[in-house]
Amino acid sequence: MGSKKKMVISQKTMELDIVRKVEELSGTSVRRCFQCGKCSAGCPMATFMDHPPNRIVRLLQLGQWRRILEGRSIWYCASCETCSTRCPNRVHLAAIMDALRKLAWDHEGPSKESYVQLANKLFLENIRTYGRQYEMRLAAVFNLKSGKLLKDFMLGPKLITKGKLKMFHQKNKNMAEIEKIFQRIEEMRKKGEAL
Amino acid sequence: MSNPSYAYYPGCSLHASAGEYDLSTRELFAALGVKLTEIPDWFCCGATPAHNVDELLSLSLCAKNFELAEQVGGDVAVACAACFSRLKFTQHTLEANETKRVQVEKALDAPLKIDRTVKHLLEILVRDYGLQRLSEKVSRPLSGLKVACYYGCLLTRPPDVPNLDCVEAPTIMEDLIEAAGGTPVEWTHRMECCGANFTLSRPGVVLQLSNNILKSAKDAGADCILVACPLCHGNLDIRQKEIENTHSTDYGLPVLYVTQLVGLACGLTPDKLGLEALIVNPMPLLKKKGLL
Repeated sequence: MGSKKKMVISQKTMELDIVRKVEELSGTSVRRCFQCGKCSAGCPMATFMDHPPNRIVRLLQLGQWRRILEGRSIWYCASCETCSTRCPNRVHLAAIMDALRKLAWDHEGPSKESYVQLANKLFLENIRTYGRQYEMRLAAVFNLKSGKLLKDFMLGPKLITKGKLKMFHQKNKNMAEIEKIFQRIEEMRKKGEAL
Repeated sequence: MSNPSYAYYPGCSLHASAGEYDLSTRELFAALGVKLTEIPDWFCCGATPAHNVDELLSLSLCAKNFELAEQVGGDVAVACAACFSRLKFTQHTLEANETKRVQVEKALDAPLKIDRTVKHLLEILVRDYGLQRLSEKVSRPLSGLKVACYYGCLLTRPPDVPNLDCVEAPTIMEDLIEAAGGTPVEWTHRMECCGANFTLSRPGVVLQLSNNILKSAKDAGADCILVACPLCHGNLDIRQKEIENTHSTDYGLPVLYVTQLVGLACGLTPDKLGLEALIVNPMPLLKKKGLL
């Protein structure tokens, strides 16, 4: 469970520039939260988290971004949108989680929760290379790179028999255009035009 | 009365692990006389992984798909709950946020064209085609079939985005099943998360969350589960045996797509609905209920 370190709130420990980025990316204000806890009460993943969702918002209010980064909660959010649906103050917590993952990705690259990051990374690489998702390739490369070679090994033959795993696939005809989208976004970020 | 035609966005899963959802959609819509034209060379919407780490990429991919959809007339028809959610989120976010709109236009190097109406197949069947007309097409009512309608997360949540139905107490799937002659059961887990795309990175999470859903459906006396999302289907159907082994139990609950069950009620044969592709075999149940 979470960091046992004592929390000291001061100008030095409050990283408010990161909080502003979270608010810009998510389009929502963390200050609207009054800690009712409805987000955590409905969260299907709260039992897997060290910081429940309402505490993530509280830590942001206090500028304690490092504690969030050191924890694992953001990598256990399933994006089910229950928190955003039930918040009485319209804090879009699912979007805050997206923003936190994006910033963690930018700051740390692969972290200790690298399996989720690896899956995300391979998914995006597939889009850039093929334009679409190919589950067979995604699963095979994930197993190879995560060292879990035999994960879901027993499912494979059944899925192939049922026609659920395609061994071959067509490349999208517009691939040059998708590559340009990736490149333009990278360019915008280099120039500081987008987070 | 002639039916409107639609620009069909199947999404990646329907061209791979959920081929039976694609097949049954095309067959059902053809049987109803509703024309679906696939958007040429559509791209992946980015699904959960893109917005999880790069919202700008997610918005840009969806905006590009709207641009491609311009080649085909009609409202955009979406089968997958995740694609549906991402396309609607893109419209919702870019309508309200000028900064993001400018960024996406730069990423596409083109003006935005995202004002198309996006509809999930459920909306098309229930609202556009209409329950009354649909019930007239039913030649093999799902009499005595107890169905657990499973919504999952993205068809309804959050408020103001998908706008498919009520965010906490939707009825659109139950209404559809009743029109097809079936009996929806009341159960506790129809809106709970199945573990979604953790199926790749954290299957243990899926085994736990999806077990809760299967158990709830079984306890409510359901014969089968009805879904409208390929990811929910994968977790509840493909992983069901593993879930049973992990929890030393036996559910044996077939998990069918909406288009499969409605297609069956409309007299389509199992080969046109891809029933043989389901991992939990629905044939014994359907035979017992006199539906084959």
